Amino acid sequence: MLGGLARFVVRAVRAAARLTRAGRWVMLRVLINQIRFTALQAIGLVAFLAAILAFLVISQSIRQLGRFGAVDNLGTIMVVAVIRELGPLLTALIVVSRSGTAIAAEMATNRVMGEVTALEAMGIDPYIYLVLPRMLGAIVSVATLMVLFDGVALLSGYVAATTNGMALSRYTAIVLKTLSAKDVWLTLAKGVFFGAAVALFCSYHGLAVKAGPTEIPQAVTRGVVATIVAIFILSAVFVVIAT
Amino acid sequence: MTASRVSIVLGPGVAAVEGAPPLAYREVDLLDRPDRADRRFSLTVAPGEVVAAIGDEGSGIERLGRLALGLEAPAAGAVEVFGVPIALLPYYDLLAFRRRLGYLPDGDGLLQNLTLKDNVALPVRFATDHRLREVEARVAQLVEDFRLRSIQALRPAQANEEDRRRAAMARAVALNPRLVVLELPFVGLTSRAATDLLDKVSRGDDGSRRAVLLTSRDLTPSVRGLVSRIVRVTDGVGAEDSKRESAWR
Repeated sequence: MLGGLARFVVRAVRAAARLTRAGRWVMLRVLINQIRFTALQAIGLVAFLAAILAFLVISQSIRQLGRFGAVDNLGTIMVVAVIRELGPLLTALIVVSRSGTAIAAEMATNRVMGEVTALEAMGIDPYIYLVLPRMLGAIVSVATLMVLFDGVALLSGYVAATTNGMALSRYTAIVLKTLSAKDVWLTLAKGVFFGAAVALFCSYHGLAVKAGPTEIPQAVTRGVVATIVAIFILSAVFVVIAT
Repeated sequence: MTASRVSIVLGPGVAAVEGAPPLAYREVDLLDRPDRADRRFSLTVAPGEVVAAIGDEGSGIERLGRLALGLEAPAAGAVEVFGVPIALLPYYDLLAFRRRLGYLPDGDGLLQNLTLKDNVALPVRFATDHRLREVEARVAQLVEDFRLRSIQALRPAQANEEDRRRAAMARAVALNPRLVVLELPFVGLTSRAATDLLDKVSRGDDGSRRAVLLTSRDLTPSVRGLVSRIVRVTDGVGAEDSKRESAWR
């Protein structure tokens, strides 16, 4: 699989390098649609899960840490656990489950229905029309949703803190003490890499379909599983890099 | 109806050989049998000629379109399009070259997530650097010519077979190609619709005849009237067939 994936990436990069002005306009239309499906339509779900997760984690942390007089460590939990690790991971998993499945299924259908061949017959590189917009769309969407997740999590953490008797000024001071520019860069970098992984693995497995319609669900499963594994491995790599 | 024809000019690409026929199959092995040198297919489509290759399933006609577009390379022999051995072109030159050709794949090959109008517009938007207004004018003209106006906003799955085929044919001639290859274009169509579509596809923007190669299981008499030559393909070998013999059965 790694050889095929490498060839897939090379083809995508070559296609990007040969993008014409007209091709850019066509790609832009597909890209906007992809961002609409992947980012805009996922805002509610991401915000809801971010709010619930941060509320639960902060509420429990204040109670447990309070017993040992270590409430000041709340910032570390909020920033390290929620913003740096769980936020990007959960956001990427949401995008995989919503858009990764859709990308893999759509690509596989494109292949089975002869649409990929039709594109090539029209002189259109399928990597420009199908793969690149999804790649860019997924990167922009995941990075944006991660920022949204972090913002909502911070607000929800504040609600949880005040519900448990902590003043806003103290909550803000504790969180800001731990939060650094590195967290912002890490979030954005994870957005880029996780987004690329979603589009890459799902497109690759979708377009790899050959036999017929019965292979479509298998391609979706392969794409999603490969993406989830890649995201966890990337998370571990980021932990190593960050430390 | 649009008052004047809207021309689309393509960018530079691999040059065609001056005076070469639009399409030529030379000793092509259609059935992947390298040991059978006697089973080879040869055919030349001249400018303005409408050639029908008819044959049963498994006769080899299924591959004629893909070979003509360079979507697959022949195991033996050569396929030349405007004198260029198309299967030997590097990938990106091949993509650019294909924009000079019109192609209707078996089934129609319309993109299911686009409307019929956007399907027609796709090659025009992609292959030219024209202003949006010029591109839209060309698309509007094609929509009008192929009678798609009332259904242009439908997606392929919402349209009937004839309308899908109209859209696919409009897309095939969107860039005003000099050669059009149609794979089983009339399956499921009435004789009237088939005749109408072939008549439209075989005329260029300036009214001149295009070179057309179509594959079919058989031809109705009315379609036969628009065809210059019929080649019957049997077991990978083509033989000229008189129009009378190929009459509707």
